[in-house]
Amino acid sequence: MITSGVGARSDVELRLPADGAYAAVLRTLTAGLAARLDFTMDDIEDLRIAVSEVAAMVLDEADAGADLVCRFRLEPGELRLDCSTTAADPARPDYDSFGWQVLTTLTTDASVEAAPGTYAVRIALRSSLDPAVIDGAGL
Amino acid sequence: MTEVDSRDSGRSAALDATRRENARLFAVFRDDGASDAERDSAREALVHLHLPLVEHCARRFRNRGEPFEDLVQVGTIGLIKSVDRFDTDRGVEFSTYATPTIIGEIKRYFRDKGWAIRVPRRLQELRMQISASTAELTQSLGRSPTPREIAEAIGCSVEEIVEGLESSNAYATLSLDAGDDSDGADGGGQSMLDAIGIDDEGLEQVEIRESVKPLLESLPPREKRILLLRFFKNMTQSQIAAEIGVSQMHVSRLLTRTLEQLRASLEADD
Repeated sequence: MITSGVGARSDVELRLPADGAYAAVLRTLTAGLAARLDFTMDDIEDLRIAVSEVAAMVLDEADAGADLVCRFRLEPGELRLDCSTTAADPARPDYDSFGWQVLTTLTTDASVEAAPGTYAVRIALRSSLDPAVIDGAGL
Repeated sequence: MTEVDSRDSGRSAALDATRRENARLFAVFRDDGASDAERDSAREALVHLHLPLVEHCARRFRNRGEPFEDLVQVGTIGLIKSVDRFDTDRGVEFSTYATPTIIGEIKRYFRDKGWAIRVPRRLQELRMQISASTAELTQSLGRSPTPREIAEAIGCSVEEIVEGLESSNAYATLSLDAGDDSDGADGGGQSMLDAIGIDDEGLEQVEIRESVKPLLESLPPREKRILLLRFFKNMTQSQIAAEIGVSQMHVSRLLTRTLEQLRASLEADD
């Protein structure tokens, strides 16, 4: 259980090599965090898929040898992930792509930031549980 | 076992018949005086006689990710072993003796073959518990349960549930070529690769055709006609020459020039 003295919010940060082999680490961590935030099993499964999509998008744009910086912001019943990398010349996000469709379907909020030097995908997911049930549990 | 004992009495006549047939076949099978052929056919008849028992056992393991037919097949191996080893003098029912062997064989299959990646036994059992209580809780709560609720139901920590969830991802690593369960016309299911689309071959042509269209419209009538005759009516240059009333050399020059123009304006468009 995460017990934090800073009130109802915690931040978790993970830095990995921008390499597909590490995507599983990101997925596992995300699932672990969501489990502690009282997401349901279905939510966690959705989150797992969403994170895979995020990783696929960001890895595609990452410069060779770049790092993947993943920042989680945890609130009761909500998880936000900001996944960014250094990308000299990132492609413009393709909002018609299959991956993006998947992402917007699974998340409550998703956005892409593509600018010279940086590429970031941000998602937010809320637990499908009634907030009243979550209140007080978990963090 | 309890299931077998508690069958309603309506079935007891059928059970008695099975029991008698079982005794008769075992007598032949164990008879040293019988020929090999007789004993073989008795053994086979015994296996067939008790196949419903295997199906009954296999049914308990349905919905755990392995095809029912495979479980029956594996369970049948347990049944054959039981037939070979059963001691009629012990005075126990054959089904009582065979059931644990059949179930053991099916469980062993799950343990050894079912997992794509070797996962410690403890996690394998945890995964079974998780999937069982997930199903129960989904029923009773009317929604997907949280890992905490599952942990409370099983009596372990949320950490262990997370660990168990990770291990369950190792259970079903299927080849991309693996067929699905639906039977195609040829009997085999469709593989995932079959379902993945590729760009239609003609797709690029559509774009080119659409780009060329306005350019064709702007050609002088004679050039347009030559193109039409050459590429749509498939006429040779000499035939075209005869049709239009110019020399073949001239047709050749006109064609080359027209095609060059088209290509140049297509590229200029890009």
